[in-house]
Amino acid sequence: MTETTTDVTKSLTIPQPGATGWARLRHWAIETPIIQFVALVALIVVLVVMIPAFITRPQASIAILVIASLLALAAMGQTLVVILGGLDLGIAGYITFGAMIASNATSRLGWPVPVAFLVTLMVCGGFGAIVGWLCHRLRIQPLVMTLGVGAILTGGSMFLAKGDYNGQPPQELRSLAQLTGTTFGLPIPPVLFIVVGLGVLLWLFLAKTSAGRKLYATGVNPRAAALARIKTSLVWTIVFAFSGALAGVAGIFIAAFGSGWSQSIGDPYLFAGLAAVLVGGTTFGSVRGSFTRTAIGALILTIVSTLIVSRGLAEAQSRIVYGIIILAVVALYGRERHVRDRF
Amino acid sequence: MNQILRFLQRNSWAFALLLAAVLLAVNLVVSPSFLSADRLAATLATLAPFVLVGFASTPAILSGGIDVSVGPLATFINCLFIAVLLPYGLGDWFVALPILLLAGAAVGTVTGVLIAIVRLHPVVASTGVLFVLVGLSITISRNPVSAPPNWSDGLARSYGWLPGALIPIGVVAIAWFLLRRTAFVSNLLATGESDVSAYGAGVNVTTVRVLAYTFGGLIASVAGIALSALLQSSQSSLATTYALLGLAAAVLGGTSLGGGKGGLLGTFFGALVIYLLQQLLTALGVQPSFVQVAYGLLLVVGVLLGATLLNPRLTRIRT
Repeated sequence: MTETTTDVTKSLTIPQPGATGWARLRHWAIETPIIQFVALVALIVVLVVMIPAFITRPQASIAILVIASLLALAAMGQTLVVILGGLDLGIAGYITFGAMIASNATSRLGWPVPVAFLVTLMVCGGFGAIVGWLCHRLRIQPLVMTLGVGAILTGGSMFLAKGDYNGQPPQELRSLAQLTGTTFGLPIPPVLFIVVGLGVLLWLFLAKTSAGRKLYATGVNPRAAALARIKTSLVWTIVFAFSGALAGVAGIFIAAFGSGWSQSIGDPYLFAGLAAVLVGGTTFGSVRGSFTRTAIGALILTIVSTLIVSRGLAEAQSRIVYGIIILAVVALYGRERHVRDRF
Repeated sequence: MNQILRFLQRNSWAFALLLAAVLLAVNLVVSPSFLSADRLAATLATLAPFVLVGFASTPAILSGGIDVSVGPLATFINCLFIAVLLPYGLGDWFVALPILLLAGAAVGTVTGVLIAIVRLHPVVASTGVLFVLVGLSITISRNPVSAPPNWSDGLARSYGWLPGALIPIGVVAIAWFLLRRTAFVSNLLATGESDVSAYGAGVNVTTVRVLAYTFGGLIASVAGIALSALLQSSQSSLATTYALLGLAAAVLGGTSLGGGKGGLLGTFFGALVIYLLQQLLTALGVQPSFVQVAYGLLLVVGVLLGATLLNPRLTRIRT
């Protein structure tokens, strides 16, 4: 115990100097969605400069906010699943089911709106719970399971509706999501407040409750979490159930917003929702994932596609831009470790 | 009984073969002319894109990753061939074939580089590429373009006794058979099983990974050609369907998503099962929406069986 200054012991015993300059900035950029936020502000400036009508007519900005909030709602469950280290490809199926219940069951069978919500929550949540439990129990990749369940739900919705796409959601549901809707006299559709409210609840849950901490712990290292006496099976079941239920509710609002449904209503939201999660900076099994990031991601994507469409380009080009944005953002900070470093 | 189970566990392709045989028998009962010689060429031509997209997604899964962009790559090649190369007079087979194969391999290599060198999560990287490919396909051909008479037409009919659709499937199968003689496939399986151990054993993990995606892209371009042969028009809207079908075929064929286990033979039977199920339900006059339910159920049941009954390493399930 005389010589304590070998390189190894030195690095362990002497405190490291605090990070400065570039390293600190990099750390900050990884820990908080600061880059995304700056990008969002820049995009808003570009949008206002290119289309000044956004200042004079607040309706246009509200339209963008509503579209972004629907995307954020569809991606809410996916955010939780990605934090857990999984992937839910059944989102499209859940959305289609919710949209079918909202437009078809209400108009054809005369279901009242609360019943429609309840049935959607039960069915989508139930399917999600089964998927989560089975994937955890049998160590199945959620990717394939959710893919199969999504196909079952999409096909099942069409089967139950008997191919009838004519139904419209009832007026009370449409006034919740459509642009003409008002909240307490304000010309803002209630869906915006509903999504913001859900987002705040989710933030409280993730950041302030022990259940939220358990979710992060399970995502980062399931084995360590299990050894810390977290019931990882329960975490998986609940998270996938939430993912299904939230996507189902998103489906109801999407149908109300668009006044109807079709068999492919969920498809754009599956991949765009995943894009919103990734652009926001939530990565698989990461402690830095949160819904705030997803909401910023959804806003960025909505504004980008508005800009693209306003330049006279088609929806196809916005897909290409989405793809490049995903790759660029994830390459910035979502990189995995080299095999050499895990050896 | 135990012996059968052990055989199924040891050969990952055997379960899909069994399922395919049962479905084939049922198909023959429902429509006895199913395998008649004059329908065989058309049947195989419909089957070929399924099988080839399944083949294309297999190497990536074997390497321990996943590539969800092979289906859209196949439809992109289809659009490139019919909506760009043919109208611009580059449609002769000796011009078009190298261009298409090179394009497919190049896109596959880009995906591979993003995954192995930029080290993005495979799902994320291939989703990004999927977006770009779908966007490009729609840009090239917004609406379906029909093709003038061209050489690919022959791949959907028969040359004498030989059904044309067997040519693309056969070429890929032979290429895989030859590759199995090289160290590449062993290294691929080792990397998929445990990249850390493979790295420790001196396998160049990065190169093996990139090559897996390149090979997948190459097969996807063959799938795109087979798709063009079948449709004789450009269909950019099929991208999402094929993105999921390829994965389903590989998984049903016993290829483990964890990597390192499976092969093209299983994928072939997996694609056959999906195709036969679709044919059977159509022949029975079931609604198309129910076909999708059955396809989802098949996928779920296949995965569940693969994880429980057919899993050779199932000793104790974690608690």
